[in-house]
Amino acid sequence: MANNSVREGFKYHLDDHEDGQLMKEQDRLLPIANVGRIMKQILPPNAKISKEAKETMQECASEFISFVTGEASDKCHKEKRKTVNGDDICWAMATLGFDDYADPLKKYLQRYRELEGERAQQGKASSCNEEKINETSNVVPTTPLKFNVIERSNSSLCARRF
Amino acid sequence: MRQAGIYSGILSGGRTGPHLLPLARIKKIMKKSGDNVKMISGEAPIVFSKACELFIEELTQRSWMVAMQGKRRTLHKEDVASAIVATDVFDFLVDLVSASSGNSVNPVDFSPVEMETVLQS
Repeated sequence: MANNSVREGFKYHLDDHEDGQLMKEQDRLLPIANVGRIMKQILPPNAKISKEAKETMQECASEFISFVTGEASDKCHKEKRKTVNGDDICWAMATLGFDDYADPLKKYLQRYRELEGERAQQGKASSCNEEKINETSNVVPTTPLKFNVIERSNSSLCARRF
Repeated sequence: MRQAGIYSGILSGGRTGPHLLPLARIKKIMKKSGDNVKMISGEAPIVFSKACELFIEELTQRSWMVAMQGKRRTLHKEDVASAIVATDVFDFLVDLVSASSGNSVNPVDFSPVEMETVLQS
């Protein structure tokens, strides 16, 4: 966080070099506009946020990502796995004390995986699948995964639907 | 016909628009996290986009409480620093904020009741 007062636009930090390549400061932080938007959304309408507070939040968010990723990748390394996946991230968060986040994130990840499965099925496109996807979009988040899997995997059910 | 936007609509929990944070940038930050980081699955940055949102929200709310206790309506860097010092789970950030502020950090009381009432105001 050195040179905070001149941190504007694209700045090069000599300390952030890697393999001789200078790393742009912008690359190691999330965009200030996005960070500011999230902050604004959670605060009351009359609240104001100083630029420095947003910059501090940018730094904290990057540190958060590094902190959790470090823990997750250590686990993968110990288990001789090369790829850090979503479950590893959720695990790392719970381990580091962010258990409040772990549950909503697991559900978020679950929904993402369901959708990925459906997108893969769309490739074998029948209008049947598309109907189900449209229905699923109206499903309340609390619908259990088990229920959805049974519907999707059984194509005879699909035929009966009409 | 496949509806455009349905995928991103669901992922953002019904909110209009895609993820709030850029996935490529998240991935870059993840890659710089350590020597053990080799490969990152496609879903990991997506989980982080949501996790960072939750993180920023929590830290912002706690910082706001500090500002309100000081009867201010503008969130300052010092408020964020105070919130970090007062919250165990944010211990990993203590060095990050103390390096720049160097100022005294006000003690904060984060009793659950206070948190509720502050957010309702």
